[in-house]
Amino acid sequence: MSAHLALSPVADLVAATLLPPEQQAAAAATLGIADRSDLARHGCKGPGAAEWLVARGLPIPPAPNSWLPLDDGGRIARLGFTEFLIEGPVALIAPLAAAPRGPGVYPVLRQDAAFVLSGSRLDELLRQSCSVNFRALDLTARPVVLTSMVGVGVTAIPELCAGRPTLRIWCDGTYGHYLWETLLDIAGDLGGGAVVARSID
Amino acid sequence: MRLPAVSGEWIDRSRSVEFRFEGRTYKGYEGDTVTTALWGADVRVLGRSFKYHRPRGVLSLANHDTNAIHQWGDMPNLRADVTPLVAGMDLTAVNTFGSLENDKGRILGKLSRFLPVGFYYKAFHNKRLFPMWERMFRVMTGLGRVDVSAPRKRTPKAYDFCDVLVIGGGAAGLSAALAAAAQGADVVVVDENARIGGAAGYQLGNDATRRRTHAELLACVAAEPRIRVVTATYAAGYYKDHWIPLVSADRMVKMRAGSVVVASGAFEQPAVFHNNDLPGVMLASAAQRLIYRYGVKPMQRAVVLAANADGYRAALDLLANDVAVAAVVDLRPTVGSAEPLARLLAQAGVEVLTGSCIVEGVADAAGLCAGARIASLGADGKPVGAEREIACDGILMSTGWAPAANLLYQAGTRMRFDTAVEQFVPDVLPDGVFACGRVNGVFGLERKLADGARAGSHAAAAAGFGSATGDALPPEAECPSHPWPIVDHPAGKNFVDFDEDLQYKDFCNAVQEGFDNIELLKRFSTNGMGPSQGKHSNMNGLRILARLTGKAPQQVGTTTARPFFHPVPMSILAGRGFSPERRTPLHSRHEALSARWMPAGVWQRPEFYQRAGESRLDCIRGEAAAVRGGVGIIDVGTLGKLEVIGPQAAEFLERVYTASYANLKVGMTRYAVMCDEAGVVIDDGVVARLAEDHFYFTTTTSGAATIYRELSRLNTMWRLDCGIVNHTGAFAAVNLAGPKSRLVLAKLTGLDLSAAAFPYLAVREAEVAGIPARLMRVGFVGEWGYEIHVPANSGGALWDALMAAGSAHGIRPFGVEAQRLLRLEKGHIIIGQDTDGLTTPLEVGLDWALKMNKPFFVGQRSLAAVGRLPRRQKLVGIRFPADHVGPVPLECNLVIAGGEIAGRVTSIAFSLAVGCHIGLAFVKPELAETGTRLDIRLTGGSLVQATVAAAPFYDPENLKQKEAA
Repeated sequence: MSAHLALSPVADLVAATLLPPEQQAAAAATLGIADRSDLARHGCKGPGAAEWLVARGLPIPPAPNSWLPLDDGGRIARLGFTEFLIEGPVALIAPLAAAPRGPGVYPVLRQDAAFVLSGSRLDELLRQSCSVNFRALDLTARPVVLTSMVGVGVTAIPELCAGRPTLRIWCDGTYGHYLWETLLDIAGDLGGGAVVARSID
Repeated sequence: MRLPAVSGEWIDRSRSVEFRFEGRTYKGYEGDTVTTALWGADVRVLGRSFKYHRPRGVLSLANHDTNAIHQWGDMPNLRADVTPLVAGMDLTAVNTFGSLENDKGRILGKLSRFLPVGFYYKAFHNKRLFPMWERMFRVMTGLGRVDVSAPRKRTPKAYDFCDVLVIGGGAAGLSAALAAAAQGADVVVVDENARIGGAAGYQLGNDATRRRTHAELLACVAAEPRIRVVTATYAAGYYKDHWIPLVSADRMVKMRAGSVVVASGAFEQPAVFHNNDLPGVMLASAAQRLIYRYGVKPMQRAVVLAANADGYRAALDLLANDVAVAAVVDLRPTVGSAEPLARLLAQAGVEVLTGSCIVEGVADAAGLCAGARIASLGADGKPVGAEREIACDGILMSTGWAPAANLLYQAGTRMRFDTAVEQFVPDVLPDGVFACGRVNGVFGLERKLADGARAGSHAAAAAGFGSATGDALPPEAECPSHPWPIVDHPAGKNFVDFDEDLQYKDFCNAVQEGFDNIELLKRFSTNGMGPSQGKHSNMNGLRILARLTGKAPQQVGTTTARPFFHPVPMSILAGRGFSPERRTPLHSRHEALSARWMPAGVWQRPEFYQRAGESRLDCIRGEAAAVRGGVGIIDVGTLGKLEVIGPQAAEFLERVYTASYANLKVGMTRYAVMCDEAGVVIDDGVVARLAEDHFYFTTTTSGAATIYRELSRLNTMWRLDCGIVNHTGAFAAVNLAGPKSRLVLAKLTGLDLSAAAFPYLAVREAEVAGIPARLMRVGFVGEWGYEIHVPANSGGALWDALMAAGSAHGIRPFGVEAQRLLRLEKGHIIIGQDTDGLTTPLEVGLDWALKMNKPFFVGQRSLAAVGRLPRRQKLVGIRFPADHVGPVPLECNLVIAGGEIAGRVTSIAFSLAVGCHIGLAFVKPELAETGTRLDIRLTGGSLVQATVAAAPFYDPENLKQKEAA
């Protein structure tokens, strides 16, 4: 399967729930939620996955459940020991997705719903939606958290963006509507709302 | 009556609050509870008891006054003793017939002799009278009214985290918090009261030193930045790994702590004497709370029943607040360590009577406390000699305590009964759990502070902060609880359990009837089964049982303390209500086509597509007809979609499925049945071989997640050279089915669709409408058709292209119901509908899918054993006469033979193609012969007849899959 890099599974919903432009900056400072499902990504797993990625010039996060930034933008996340999620420019992802699989490499078609949340009240949203203590994580170690959020399995990366607490999450795209609606509901209660990605990412 | 303002009181006298109770208007202050405002307004009857409807007032003022439960609008069962007063409240007492004042239920008090202990057991013993009693109990019992139309409250739950959680903000708890914080721990103190301080703030004995200690403690806590104080919130339970739900009026917080200090204190326990429930009779600590927290005068003239120094302190607090104390009646022969306090009382003219008891409370015409009848106590613990009546409008009970150890029990603490303090204390605590203060058997104020510091230090060390310091304290020098604060009385009404109106004699009778085990006694008598869950009755009940059976309290043991500590409102339990829901990538297309939705596991699927002017049944039958006569399309994206890749991929499938896959040719598919170790069918699907080392396979909609987990577990265990990928959500999938399906698809793909190039059960990878796709020729609905799988984000484009290409052929989307009918015509089973948790492949005609000569597959050994036994049941086709009129069975209606259950219907529908109702049913093997007539019992009880018929009902030769068709 080749990569399919264009559509978000929640595009219609996001468009319908975006705040008016004049309200977005304030919402983003408090708690903005943006859709990044349209970013290109690819996954692979298996005992040969790390070697296969190295052969294609990608850095490998040394520790399980950690991530590294990519030179041309994007990131590579190590999920457990032998699974990887790569998100970045189409120019990087498309060749990866089209490349023949190597020995011990099992391609994973990533059709995630991917969201970014950011703002001063992010921790409150996390405490309503997830049992992991994100406050206790050392962000300099670039942690990746595989957990359940509002009942949905997610991959999460917490980080500081421009000094603001930020969280990137990926989930199975078929849960995208539910996750977006639920997180947006919480964000709304906390004074935030849906914003365009450039507001917070 | 209100007292002059006292230092540290919780009410704001500058803010008056008006409210209504039982139709009358009252005024209280901000900071009051409902009870304190009413008591301050000289209202003495706050509610009625559960069984006898006796008037009740204040008992504990500590969240356990379960006879003073009120309804406010749509909020039932507010505990008046702790519910904050709100302006505009309009309250009524629950559990009354008529009104609180003129409660017709009072008659039950006079009928008490006809309501013996174990009344429920006895009433329901008679099968004939069961319905009558049930109806009566449903009317008579239950508290409050639920308003089902009340708007849903937003009560979002939240998680929280801390290093050390201290449960209880009394002296011991606060001392523990300070010690833990001093070692660097992040500490949370949770207390169910509106403010912290605990008993140190009101059990003063008019002692300035105690007051100062309390104030200094609060100041230290306020100044410590590492301590977070959470008030008006209670720790509702203990769950493993120090996970504690903290419940407030608005929400539940799930607190995960590094370690836990339980400083939950103790419940003061009532003494048992005749009329110990009269309004005006209360625990000493309740009176002290009224005075020091709410500035309410508990009574004008009191008798204090004591068995410890706390009672003497309570008497001094009364005196200091303008309450006359007629006497202190001490159950003990001497005053013990209370000697200095007794001297102060004597100096104030208070009579102290040791070795004495209250035989009964004396009621006035209104049923309120008007006096105490006292007597000396004999050596056997019974009243002796002349009785004497002392006039009073209130009686304070201060005879002992029971530890608030519920959370310790839930945490797995081993408790032991310590006769030095006459209570259960922790013997062996679980890792990371610590106890201090009264719950730990430590009572003196200074001792509680020291015990708290020890526990706090150890808890911080357990959480990784500092070193543990301090050792367990020596036992109390004087017992704070009397071992037998109980006085029998020929007139009864000496209540042990105030929730359920259980009297002393009820226990004696229960034991006499053989219910002499603590768990049996509880259920037979209902002791501890009311709203307060025995917080004021379990200890006395245990003492009574021990004495009646000649056992020690340790031998009697305690009942199980389960979460939650207090009843938790349903709205709080519900929280925000997360209900994960999956939508296929085609959801919006279905919406646009007026799909009627139905849940399928976590998915939403179109049941059918509504057409204007057509009934549901017409729509479903129309969709089925379109598939049979032309072409239909259904979203099957909910199927589990897995891949197994690697040199040993075929070997893996050989092991997990019953059929053979090593010999499956590349480009072909095969039906797949999965069993568990017992040989029970758990899933089915289709396995497609894309390459020698690459298989793509489907599972049932409901099985996708669990099958993936199970296969991952097996692969980890077997260590085969292959990997499993779950692509369930990553692919969209449709089934294009019907005699015209090939014509439609041909417009969109360059693939050779001839039967020779793309035969039945083949799989191909090709582009459809420019989208890379996997296509499988399958026949679940019994027509020529293609299951087409594409990446999820291309699903919409694929659907649009197929609908456009099919429009000239009358393409019609069909839903789950039409699919169920079509597959039933074809005799295909649905796992979970036509099978259950005990069904083997041998019972549902899947023998052909079992390759018993393989070296191994999961369930093979069990099936070999089962195969040697006679069948218990067999799945057969059934049909009804074409001219059948009247109702037909529903799924799960029973097959009856010889008056016995002989099977059940698993699927049934009307088939236009067949021209009658058809179905599948489990029947006993002797009924499985084609042509056998079956009696099937309808839901209403009548019988209808069906005939066992050969399945498939439609196209039994499978000609539809052949080119000639």
